[in-house]
Amino acid sequence: MAEQGENMNKSDSTSEPNQDELILAQQRQIEKEISDSIPLVGDKELITSLNNEYSADNIYLEKVRDLATKYKFIRRTRPDGNCFFRAFSYANIERLLGKPDEFEAFYKVAENSKDGLVKLGFQQLTVDDFYDTYMEVLKRLKNIENLSEAYKELHSVFNEQGFSDYMVVYLRLLTSGQLQKEHDFYSCFIEGDRTVADFCHQEVEPMYKESDHIHIIAACAALQTGVKVIYMDRGIGKACTEHDLPEGTSPTVHLLYRPGHYDILYQ
Amino acid sequence: MAGSALRRLMAEYKQLTLNPPEGIIAGPINEENFFEWEALITGPEGTCFEGGVFPAKLVFPPDYPLSPPKMQFTCEMFHPNIYSDGRVCISILHAPGDDPMGYESSAERWSPVQSVEKILLSVVSMLAEPNDESGANVDAAKMWRENRIEFNKIAEKIVRRTLGIPT
Repeated sequence: MAEQGENMNKSDSTSEPNQDELILAQQRQIEKEISDSIPLVGDKELITSLNNEYSADNIYLEKVRDLATKYKFIRRTRPDGNCFFRAFSYANIERLLGKPDEFEAFYKVAENSKDGLVKLGFQQLTVDDFYDTYMEVLKRLKNIENLSEAYKELHSVFNEQGFSDYMVVYLRLLTSGQLQKEHDFYSCFIEGDRTVADFCHQEVEPMYKESDHIHIIAACAALQTGVKVIYMDRGIGKACTEHDLPEGTSPTVHLLYRPGHYDILYQ
Repeated sequence: MAGSALRRLMAEYKQLTLNPPEGIIAGPINEENFFEWEALITGPEGTCFEGGVFPAKLVFPPDYPLSPPKMQFTCEMFHPNIYSDGRVCISILHAPGDDPMGYESSAERWSPVQSVEKILLSVVSMLAEPNDESGANVDAAKMWRENRIEFNKIAEKIVRRTLGIPT
């Protein structure tokens, strides 16, 4: 049967070039070229390094000046649509290094998280590898006693595409799980007639989909921690706008948002 | 990376062997290479493709399941959502944002928690209910809309061919 199929295919296959796929392939190529020049997670740099990006832009330069009164360093992430998840995941683990009790508490939260996802209807088979990778990384870091070694290991793991992307996927799944678990609450924030589950399948679970407020709030709830987001855009005023998410929590992770992109900030 | 893809593909193969969905068989063509599978899909009952057994090939990227596989029927096909060379064009094989065919925004998309099984089940639904809005085969889409009797005749011929019955 297979043979017959192949014969038919030959006579039938004029293999016209498929424009749609060519366009997609080219788009991928451009994205790849952009992203290959920027590491997944960069080194800590002085906050004033932002000035180089805006040398001719007074609005932004004012805002960098304001930012520099509150933050000393920035760590850039690759702008590939995963930047919020990668930055948040990295900064959240980084803050736990050197704090064994808090690390242990977070480890427990992470350890129990897979059962929650399976209960919500995620097929275990599709979750296993991401969960295993996430736990493997946490375990590895937990066992490193020397703090500077642990920082180094975290940095190297997050710059290894395989590990880094699996960490991103797992946080995406936890975020999706959180949204679906609390769907009554989150459904108010979803525009159009999409259900929370549809929203998760289309906007949260797929790689490279950018994050909005709703992703951040749910990710914070899933990891049981708060984020302060500093918004820097061309809007009026000399200061950047700040938001603690979820509202009322004291943030443990600080992120800089510029339209379409998140980086990590350090005080 | 390829290690994780292989582990996942082996797990999916095991699951599909232990718990095959009705009317679908799928697995690696050769167990030395888990990145190329063959699938056999039975035409859904009560449709013009009923009774046919359609062979297809699935090719997985090294970063599977971060990216979706590609799927191509290896038998003759005539269907609005299948290119004339057999390539399948449905939303679950594309990540959101990849919108060559202008899929509905609510359509099912690829994500790492999708699976071969979900793709094949979507293909079965596609055989039963073509989406004539996203025409990979414009002639088939037009005929499906305007001349269902003729469409059914062609489908029947294809079904017979997949079974090796003279047409």
